Amino acid sequence: MTGGWIRFLAAAGLLLLGLFFEVLAVFGANRFKKALNRIHAAAMGDTLGILFVSLGLMVMRGFSMDSLKLFLVILFFWLASPVSGHMIARLEAMTNQNLGEIAVIRMEKEDREKAAGSGRPGGGDESLPDAAETGPEEKGKSGSGKGRKGAEK
Amino acid sequence: MSRLKENYENSRYRRFMRWMNGEVDLLDGVTDVRIPEETEPAPAGHGAAGPVSSADKRRAALEARRKESEEIFGPEIWPQAASGEPIFDRRLTVFRGVYSVMSVILCAVIIWVFLWTTVHLPPFGGADNPANNEVPRRYIESGLAETGAVNFVTGMILDYRAFDTFGESCVLFIASCCVLVLLRIDPVDEHSRARVRKQQENDRVFEPKNDVILQKAAFILVPLILIFGIYIVLNGHLSPGGGFSGGAVLGSGLILYLNAFGFQKTERFFTEKVYRRVTLCALTFYCLAKSYSFFTGANHLESGIPLGTPGAILSSGLILPLNICVGLVVMCTMYAFYTLFRKGGM
Amino acid sequence: MIGQAYHYLLLGAMILLGVLIIVSIIRSVLGPGISDRVIAVNMIGTIIIMLIAILSLYRNESYLVDVCLIYAMISFLSVVVLCKVYTGVYLQRKNMKANLEAVEDNLQHQEEEVIVVEAEGQPEQKEEEAVR
Repeated sequence: MTGGWIRFLAAAGLLLLGLFFEVLAVFGANRFKKALNRIHAAAMGDTLGILFVSLGLMVMRGFSMDSLKLFLVILFFWLASPVSGHMIARLEAMTNQNLGEIAVIRMEKEDREKAAGSGRPGGGDESLPDAAETGPEEKGKSGSGKGRKGAEK
Repeated sequence: MSRLKENYENSRYRRFMRWMNGEVDLLDGVTDVRIPEETEPAPAGHGAAGPVSSADKRRAALEARRKESEEIFGPEIWPQAASGEPIFDRRLTVFRGVYSVMSVILCAVIIWVFLWTTVHLPPFGGADNPANNEVPRRYIESGLAETGAVNFVTGMILDYRAFDTFGESCVLFIASCCVLVLLRIDPVDEHSRARVRKQQENDRVFEPKNDVILQKAAFILVPLILIFGIYIVLNGHLSPGGGFSGGAVLGSGLILYLNAFGFQKTERFFTEKVYRRVTLCALTFYCLAKSYSFFTGANHLESGIPLGTPGAILSSGLILPLNICVGLVVMCTMYAFYTLFRKGGM
Repeated sequence: MIGQAYHYLLLGAMILLGVLIIVSIIRSVLGPGISDRVIAVNMIGTIIIMLIAILSLYRNESYLVDVCLIYAMISFLSVVVLCKVYTGVYLQRKNMKANLEAVEDNLQHQEEEVIVVEAEGQPEQKEEEAVR
């Protein structure tokens, strides 16, 4: 195997891996039903997809100015796309009517102690959904609560 | 008189005419921003039960808006419209008929002319096209030697055809002046009508502000974007780029700063005074520099500006300062458009 | 031989990304809700950046990578502005108010009581509104 073929195989492998993640991201964004789940899938394409595709292209190019610019693209994306995911999630939480179908996990300290009795460690079992609080009221509260918290700081 | 069908108002023609005259909004209820259907129960301000159907609500909203605009702007031109009845004016009917027919004919003529022209165009890049005469040959062959710019597209637009680029920068300036005239909300005095109108236009009250994550990210990203914009502006004569694209990137960096930190922090360094001074100075410098070039060129004098070695940053004579001027004008214009459309002022 | 291999690899990658863009466009039209559309538009931007990078290698023209970087910045900015504006529009239509501290951040500190003109029979609200 000459050096040219090794470089080709490495670059092709990275490129195909990146494309695989991108296909997964688009597939996931189309198959999920809720917008918050779709953000998960889209974020995977934004970070891993760009990373592997750009790495593959950098291997193809070698050391040059273009590889540096592609590296800057990766850097910018890894800084910026989580922020855009956060903004979209905030938009969703503030404007969606049916958000209450997602179970809200919330355990106050008093409830925890009341529920568990004595001898429970501090960071206890937080996987019990509070079924009574799902619904439009909680959605309204959580939405405006997020808005208030975000606006306070 | 023709025979009217039963249920004429719901026929396809009447529905189409209602949509065309703006009485019906097809997107009402299917827009993206969905408002919750259940509102609070009827408040104490109005005695009877509130409007029940969406059509009634819409009519009430239209009525209220018409009342407000009548307060501010005076009575309407068509007083019959106040009662909601259709206006039976003969001139209007004839005009509407003629207008429909003429518009269809005009569209058909324009479409036919475009298609016929496109079919008869010469092939792209053919050697004997009318566009490949001696002018592009001169640009391509002696562009590098005469202008000193490696990217001879920039050499063409900022050296051979610099006057046209000056016109384009002026067009940007005039466009933002026009938007300023149309959209600006003047500083409000004690007058109550303008205050009411200004308050209704102010939709930024309801936006989420001071998002910490966005602020931290913008703290890192805005310098990066601005540096990249400056790089594109300065490298106009070496690689594709130049004043226009670099100015767009600089403007978008400023808009990101504005979105993350709010208007007050941005107005610490970019007010209307700054905008005015920067655009005027940039355009005046462009004008003076190119006037010098015209003067020396027309009188067959040697312009004293050195061309430098092609490929270096400080080369190609006046192209670098002119790129900076154009970049500044474009940046200010993009920022001005954004704030004018958002806030009605700068 | 290697050149041919690169050619076909890059061409196949570009075709696949084109198909993904079409699927995302369909999602941006269909998506029941504003967030789905914004997600789709963001993803279209990302896929286009990958496409331009691969194109610059395919054509061996090195200046297209600058376009990638610019487009990344512009698409990030567009998502931020869209989210802000849509949230503002929604909250305005619901007649909710953001936190007063946040309101005064953008307006000057001149407090007046203004009575909102009744548009649809909502109760009269008193607002602290700053006036320029």
